[in-house]
Amino acid sequence: MIIDWYTIIFQIINFMILVFLLRRFLYGPVIRAMDDREKKIIQREKDASAKKKQAEEEAQRYQSQKAALKEQEEEIFEKAQAAAEKQKRELLDQARQEVDQTKRRWQESFEREKETFISELRRRIGQQACAVARSCLKDLADTRLEKLIWEVFLNKLKNLPEEDRLELKKALEAEGGTITLKSAFETKPGQLKELEKALEKLFSDAGADFKLAAAIEEGLICGLELDAGGYRLAWSMDSYLEDVEEQVLKELEQNALSGQKAGAEGEVSGNGRS
Amino acid sequence: MTINPDEIVLFQWGWFKINSTIAFTWLVILFLTFGSWLITKKLSSAGELSRWQNLLEVLINGIKLQIREVSRQEPGPYLPFVGTLFIFIAMSNILAIVPGYVPPTSSLSTTAALAICVFIAVPVFGIASQGVLNYLRQYLQPTFFMLPFNLIGELSRTLALAVRLYGNMMSGTIIVAILLTITPLLFPVVMQALGLLTGLIQAYIFAILAMVYISSASKAHEEIAKKGEE
Repeated sequence: MIIDWYTIIFQIINFMILVFLLRRFLYGPVIRAMDDREKKIIQREKDASAKKKQAEEEAQRYQSQKAALKEQEEEIFEKAQAAAEKQKRELLDQARQEVDQTKRRWQESFEREKETFISELRRRIGQQACAVARSCLKDLADTRLEKLIWEVFLNKLKNLPEEDRLELKKALEAEGGTITLKSAFETKPGQLKELEKALEKLFSDAGADFKLAAAIEEGLICGLELDAGGYRLAWSMDSYLEDVEEQVLKELEQNALSGQKAGAEGEVSGNGRS
Repeated sequence: MTINPDEIVLFQWGWFKINSTIAFTWLVILFLTFGSWLITKKLSSAGELSRWQNLLEVLINGIKLQIREVSRQEPGPYLPFVGTLFIFIAMSNILAIVPGYVPPTSSLSTTAALAICVFIAVPVFGIASQGVLNYLRQYLQPTFFMLPFNLIGELSRTLALAVRLYGNMMSGTIIVAILLTITPLLFPVVMQALGLLTGLIQAYIFAILAMVYISSASKAHEEIAKKGEE
């Protein structure tokens, strides 16, 4: 008989024991180890994904920070650029202004010098013109002319206005009664007498006494001068000439002033254009 | 030359006897248990694996995968039984290359014992998964008249399981024995290698068939559960 029931039962029991033993020593531990590992792997994956997420967030934050920084940097750069531009403009303006000022100063000084020169020139010209006239008259002066001058002078004295008369009197009193006659030529005694008479007539109401002295003064051009200390009565070409000179110089100065004004206006408009 | 290792009695005391089938079965059991204990006592669940642990994990994962594919159910409850069938038969057959070793599976008593285990396990798993009534109702499917055929089918497939394994293993042993007497040394070696292949295939077939029978007994319940869910 191939089948041995005793062995079969024995083998069934053996198999049951083996199932139990393998369950105890093989499947249990190995499956537990595998499950543990799986759990750990899942845990690790979870950790990794959490960390990845964290890292991504970190990266995003970093990116945004970077962007903000860049923006800030650009802003600062722009500001700096603007400031530099402004400063440059200011410096340029300043430099231009300085140049303008220097130029203006220089121009002014130049103008001034020019004016001084021109006014000096004008004055000289005037003086020269007068000097020419003066020397002309000097050359012309002779006894006849002198006589004429003398008459004119006496006439003037006779027709002296009241104010001048009082003033002459006052001066005469202060001086002590000495009147000096200055003339370019020598005075004749007749002439002196005539003058004395005229003066006496002038002071007739006041009754003042005086002494008349004569003196020669080369500077007077065909003229006479009565000097009573503080008061001076004169007639000469020189005084006319001085008047003329004064007039001429005044005229010239006015001309120069108006010319300068026109020049200044032209300069201002010229600046406006630039 | 003895065909049946049951007849080789190594020890006898009254009615109690130890024949070579039982002795080699014990040897295999010891080998497997000690080996498992040796490997699993220092398992690691993280970091590097020892190559033995890796081997065991591959083996168990493979078995689980096969069970899942065949039964379309979670392998958890079936793994100890089906896995042990495979490991025991495979180990018994592989050890056949050791000289002097007689595979226990080449005894019809062993294969019959394993087949009887399957025969008992089918209703046990069936009842555990779908209850006694539901399980018994299966024998009346599709009609009441099919009951005898169902019963005969149950018995005959158990017989087929036992005889298939026994026939294959015994024939392997006997073929090698016969060839050794008539051919030079080289040819039996080839047959031995072929015998290893046959042994592994038979272990696989036995375990898979056992799983198929068990899952067919517990499938009805799963289908009902699925319908209920739908």
